[in-house]
Amino acid sequence: MMPGAALSLRRASWVALGASLAVLVPGAPVGAQPSAEEIMGKAHLAMFYRGEDMRARVTMRLVSRDGKERVRELTMSRRDLQDGGEQRYFIYFHRPPDVRDMTFLVWKYPGKDDDRWLYVPALKLVRRIAASDKRSSFAGSDFSYEDVSGREPEEDTHKLLREEKVGERPASVVESVPKDPASVDFSRKVSWIDKATWLPLKEEYYDRRGELARVFTAEELKEIQGFWTVTKRVMKNVKTGHWSESVMAEVRYNQKLSPDLFSERALRAPPAELSR
Amino acid sequence: MRHRFTLLILASLLVARAAAAAEEIPLHGFVQAASAYRLIQPDRCPRTQRLACREEFVLGEGRARLELTPRGEWWGLVAKGELIGDAVGGEVDGDLREGYLDLRFPAVDLRLGRQIITWGVGDLIFINDVFPKDWVAFISGLPVEYLKKGSDGLSATGHWAGTSLQVVLVPRFEADTLPEAGGRLRFNDPMAALESRKTDDPSPALERTEAGLRLFRNVAGWDLSLYAYRGFHRAPAGEVEPGPRLRLFFPPLNVYGWSAQGAALGGVVSLEAGYYDSRRDRSGRNAAVENSRGKYLVGYQRELAPDLTLGLQYAGDVMEDHDAYRATRGSGMATRPTIRHVLTARLTQLLWNQTLRLGLFVLGSPNEGDFYVNPEVKYNVTDALWAALGVNLFGGPRRAEFGQFEGNSNLYAVVRYAF
Repeated sequence: MMPGAALSLRRASWVALGASLAVLVPGAPVGAQPSAEEIMGKAHLAMFYRGEDMRARVTMRLVSRDGKERVRELTMSRRDLQDGGEQRYFIYFHRPPDVRDMTFLVWKYPGKDDDRWLYVPALKLVRRIAASDKRSSFAGSDFSYEDVSGREPEEDTHKLLREEKVGERPASVVESVPKDPASVDFSRKVSWIDKATWLPLKEEYYDRRGELARVFTAEELKEIQGFWTVTKRVMKNVKTGHWSESVMAEVRYNQKLSPDLFSERALRAPPAELSR
Repeated sequence: MRHRFTLLILASLLVARAAAAAEEIPLHGFVQAASAYRLIQPDRCPRTQRLACREEFVLGEGRARLELTPRGEWWGLVAKGELIGDAVGGEVDGDLREGYLDLRFPAVDLRLGRQIITWGVGDLIFINDVFPKDWVAFISGLPVEYLKKGSDGLSATGHWAGTSLQVVLVPRFEADTLPEAGGRLRFNDPMAALESRKTDDPSPALERTEAGLRLFRNVAGWDLSLYAYRGFHRAPAGEVEPGPRLRLFFPPLNVYGWSAQGAALGGVVSLEAGYYDSRRDRSGRNAAVENSRGKYLVGYQRELAPDLTLGLQYAGDVMEDHDAYRATRGSGMATRPTIRHVLTARLTQLLWNQTLRLGLFVLGSPNEGDFYVNPEVKYNVTDALWAALGVNLFGGPRRAEFGQFEGNSNLYAVVRYAF
């Protein structure tokens, strides 16, 4: 084998190997200090690419400053075509009543706009959704599409600021600045990445004026089928006082979800197990 | 009769619900109040439209909807019934919006019963969507879902290696619901002097089964569809019989078309075309029956900013044998142009965590001069309760498609509580 090929192979598997080592031995001391880019790459995989596929029942509470509460309940299925690469999402809405039975399909490509389809049961209509703005709110919550399905680490430049504990958990604090400032609504993001699981424990988003705009916190971490998972997360809009809590239940990895689920057929007629 | 039938359906839905309570069969529905106040009072009034000229309210009604949707691994049942109390007409009526059985096989989905079918990619521009529509509901200010009517038939969709083929068979013809003489809506009635009218459904029975085909595949992120339809015009043609009496009938129609929709130019691009083969008037010389036509549309939708979306469309409708058509028009009769051009724009802004929606839809024909404008504010008061307030404004030449509805322009309000 050519040395160059061996080298690139080694480099390619490094991230995956590092991530799985970290999962197998939580809290194990890492020999060499990983770079900010490596940390954010691992965090991206840990948060959005665990397993080959995943399904969970998600309950989102949307709470306004004056305490008015709305609830979104949905079943989210995810299937990865490759780690860190192409992904497909299928979302079935259980409530509120005006979105009940709606289905939402996303084909996510790295470096290119998603394909998104929404099915409106009252009209029996599959509607293509424009996906140019990934910062749009997901289902009216404080989470954006990117918060739900991930933002590619390559879109930002990263700097390791310091190491710091979040509660009891040691974390690396990384600052990320968008390479294309016009493409996003934040000028910088500061992330606290858990050293044991590579999951983000906290994120602060600063707006274009440099003021703190939104804060993400991982409220609950659980190990499910060997994968550490953020099962409860909160995004707070500091400017409006509105906040959203997302709780994942019945999380299952590697269920061998059929590729057929991520198709127009399933949009129009979702499998019965989803509507329960 | 129809009313009693639906009451029976609603009652059986309730009984089924009670019987199945332990089984956790999902039961949902809503209650809704809707009202629309006529903004433009007609200046002159044909005798066939006296009611429309008198009535201040285009719409004033309450609805109760029950939806029962039990489902298993390979089957599903959907029953959606409505009880409608019409305050303007002083009537109570019932309607089975949808009622069908789904059967699911590994490669085939079957749907049998009253079902809504939507084809094509247009936004309020229908080319390959040949299925029945309720234009009265639309003009009157009811939510847009009431524009679609159910078809009583069978739909079978086969799926092979990413390609789907849908076959639709509809044995019972359902016409579009259009403003008609004696109704509550104003419209252009070239036969206004003739009060004696009768409507013939398509016949004979065997020939009147409508058939539709849709071949679908996603290619490189683009949704591609081919369509074919053999059936009838949904809007009636009129012929004066001895009496004199106006006979309304539904001439045969074939439609062939295609559509494509995909991500491009930073948004979503939609393309659609169709050929309307008017089988009874292929020469264009029949004055009563629509000529064959070619229709096409180009659409573009883009998110301008988070929660702000703009959709634009251009559509054309080309009449074949325009010379023959012109020859059938008597002196003093309006003549439609060879091509009808239509432009539309839809702007939607979501605010307050998507609980407030400001919408504006504008449709206009630059060469015929008629237009439709629909601004709307919709607020989700809670997860269960929403209210909408809007205007339907129609205008332009009285004989043009939307201009004839000027006298129905209305301010509407809808409140819905869903469970």
